[in-house]
Amino acid sequence: MKILVAIKQVPERDAQVHVAADGKWIDESDLNYTINEPDAYALEEALQLKEKNGGEVVVVCAGPERVTSTLREALAKGADRAIHIEADDLGERDTLGVARILADAMKVESPDLVLTGLQSDDLGLGQTGVVLAELLGIPHATIIMHVEVTGGGLKVKRELEDGWFQHVEMPLPALLTIQSGGNKLRYATLMGIKKAKTKETKTVQAAAAAASPAIMLERVYLPEKQKKTEMLTGTPDQVAAKIVEKLKFEVRVI
Amino acid sequence: MVDVTLAAVTGARCSGATLLGTWVSATLAEPGYFSWLETGLLLVGIAVSLTLFFWRFGPILRNIFRSKKDTDFSLAPVGRRVWDFVWEVLCQGKVIRQRPLPGLAHAFVFWGFLAFALVTTNHIANGLRLGFLSPESYIGRFYFLFAAAWAVLVAIGITGLFIRRFFVRPIWLGKKVSIESGWIAFLIFLLMVSYLGAFFVSPGGDAVRALWWTHTLTLLVFLPLIPHTKHLHLVISPVTVFLKRAGFSKIPPLHGDEDFGLVAGKDVTQLVSLQVYSCVECGRCTEHCPAFNTGKVLNPKEIILGVRSYLNELGPASEVALLAEARPETAFGETLSMEAAFECTTCGACEYQCPVGIQHVPVIIGLRRGATNTGAWEDTYGTKLFLALEKNGNALGLSAMERDKFIQKEAFPIFDGTQEYCLWLGCMGGYDPKGREIISDFARVMKYLGTTFGVLKKEKCTGDPARRLGNDLVFQTLAEAGLKAFETAKVQKIVAICPHCVRTIANDWREYGIAPEIEHHSEFMARYKDRLPKQASGESIVYHDPCYLGRYRGVYEEPREIVSLAGTLVEAPRSHERSFCCGAGGGLVFLGEEKGERVSHVRAAELAGTGAQVVGTACPFCNTMFRDALAEMSKTPPQLLDIAQLTARALPEMHGLGTRDQGSGER
Repeated sequence: MKILVAIKQVPERDAQVHVAADGKWIDESDLNYTINEPDAYALEEALQLKEKNGGEVVVVCAGPERVTSTLREALAKGADRAIHIEADDLGERDTLGVARILADAMKVESPDLVLTGLQSDDLGLGQTGVVLAELLGIPHATIIMHVEVTGGGLKVKRELEDGWFQHVEMPLPALLTIQSGGNKLRYATLMGIKKAKTKETKTVQAAAAAASPAIMLERVYLPEKQKKTEMLTGTPDQVAAKIVEKLKFEVRVI
Repeated sequence: MVDVTLAAVTGARCSGATLLGTWVSATLAEPGYFSWLETGLLLVGIAVSLTLFFWRFGPILRNIFRSKKDTDFSLAPVGRRVWDFVWEVLCQGKVIRQRPLPGLAHAFVFWGFLAFALVTTNHIANGLRLGFLSPESYIGRFYFLFAAAWAVLVAIGITGLFIRRFFVRPIWLGKKVSIESGWIAFLIFLLMVSYLGAFFVSPGGDAVRALWWTHTLTLLVFLPLIPHTKHLHLVISPVTVFLKRAGFSKIPPLHGDEDFGLVAGKDVTQLVSLQVYSCVECGRCTEHCPAFNTGKVLNPKEIILGVRSYLNELGPASEVALLAEARPETAFGETLSMEAAFECTTCGACEYQCPVGIQHVPVIIGLRRGATNTGAWEDTYGTKLFLALEKNGNALGLSAMERDKFIQKEAFPIFDGTQEYCLWLGCMGGYDPKGREIISDFARVMKYLGTTFGVLKKEKCTGDPARRLGNDLVFQTLAEAGLKAFETAKVQKIVAICPHCVRTIANDWREYGIAPEIEHHSEFMARYKDRLPKQASGESIVYHDPCYLGRYRGVYEEPREIVSLAGTLVEAPRSHERSFCCGAGGGLVFLGEEKGERVSHVRAAELAGTGAQVVGTACPFCNTMFRDALAEMSKTPPQLLDIAQLTARALPEMHGLGTRDQGSGER
């Protein structure tokens, strides 16, 4: 079974992020990058499926030169090959734009299964996987906790809200977006790193971005603390009536 | 020790000479002549004995020579090697010091053997008609009597050792009694008796001839028994002591792209081979091992003997895994297991004790490297630790922002090159509540002394737990990051409260570069002891030697000087180089629950048992282990304070020092 894992490189979790001067993104200088956490679980799921059923795991990542370190780490953990989609302008591409360049690189591989994290630690849109499935023309399931290969298809466990799970059977090829915490991650080993040196990393150029993306980031800002005080005036009766009105229609608690 | 020996020698010689002189000629009787038949028989005997000896010794030598080369080996510093050889081999210093009675008995046998070198050579030469030392000559008369005195001591010594092995039977010698050792002891005894007997018979008689042949045959039987038993140490342990890797628990660098540590026989180096064949199975390592003594699987002696069995069975070129779990089809060395290897606290008591130069810790860590570097070691806690070190850069898995907040709260200056010292916080000092108390108290001491210091803006773990658990990838990443951080900040001198940090930065990082000079806060404070207040509390304080400060760094007196300033120093039953581990080392503090008794409980009970009012520590890991152990043991446990806290509690309140309540919340 050929499994493709789409991974993203994001700033480290405890990085101190600052908004960039233009206010449209964070200041990227002086940041350390790492693998997006749900993607790490997607990779782990892929590696475990390979250990159980055999096959090949190929990691795919779009981004500038720095993402190769994350690809190397994935190879060290056990992926067989890596594809680096060179793109220095990820910020100017919307979800559809990113999914397109991923799909371009993936189509030629004709995978049996595509895995990716359910969302990214930085933008948290949770859309890329789903759009990618659409572009590849394969079925998908989201927020997956567990995957089992059955004959020609899959049995997956989805996480729903409120402690509910849904078990879905689906055909292959398919795309799954993986939830964090379903498996235990493995640690990178010296042997893995040494082996990674001999593994292939293919570099492909991303197609030019669309002239006008459908969605654009307008402003990035830290959560603003708001404290609004409104003084109600009038006689005690009037003030009481106004409070009741506000609690009923504005705050809607009574 | 030397004085005692000399006294014993002179005493024995005088009494021997006078005693013998009164009723025998005090001359050794030798057969007057040897027939050609006798000489021929002797030659055949020697040939058979030597052949048997080399028939058995040859394969061992081959295994040693065919093992992988030690790429990092260097003879320098030779002076140190010569000194170790003189002290440990010739003087039997370690043998006697660490086990006085059996040690002295062994030393008598050893020195007796040395004295007998000339006697034996002359004895055999006589049989070949080449005798060169006449019992009639002045030199001969003196020397044979001198050797006779030794023969008495050897006979007494070997009898004592025989009684110990077969009647006292300490468990360290192993559950099974070695019958062969009994035979060897008997042969040695016979050698001495047959030599001494020749002083009591008249020359030229049949009795002399019988004694001579008894002595000769004993020698010829003794020789081939040496190689395949633990008595091989007679031949190779002097070499092992001389050649052992320089430095305590020195972990050798990995070499090339195929070296991941001790995975299979092919990874066993010549030094390791030499060491495992030197093992005399005395069990001193086992006797002092905190894991073995608390019911774990690990027995350091069995690790060494396991490698020996492996080499005997499969040889040094084998690709079969060393660890028992990975070779279920084999029927040897089941004690050489992954489970055992990961129970080691790397306290180094075994290595310190070993009288024949075996370096256990690098072997055990080598086995861990083999398991971890290849991903064979799967442990939930271990993986969690490695991921925390990979992602967060600290062993506790906390966000670096927690450290930033602590620095801000304490108003520690950031190191900018103008201060004298860089104060290294470490994971415990930067993140752990108790470690933080120690750091801020030590900072108060530094301020009181007027020493300028700053802390690094960003600091990552030294990689100690990764190093000891055999994860070279994480260790290398952290070591390189640390070296770069010091270089960027232009740090000249570092001081740290954690012996593990000190050891790792000072020694283990050398593989990747040279770190600035670093010292432990005990060393720093001891230097200023005259300027630190002497407390009149009269409190009794028992000091616990941390493994990584004592055995690893040889720092025993400095922390004691600090403790003595704060109260009355009490010694634990096991202290200094025989100190018993707290159970935290070797990354074990981060792993799951121990099997058997907890090491920390055993040690905490021992410390509390001294009746001291305070337990004084010098390592934040020991401190955290004892805090839990003492709290579980008693409702009114002794107070637990680091030497920095013991010092800081007597300092006057100062303004602008970011002081906290004196003596911390423990008081």
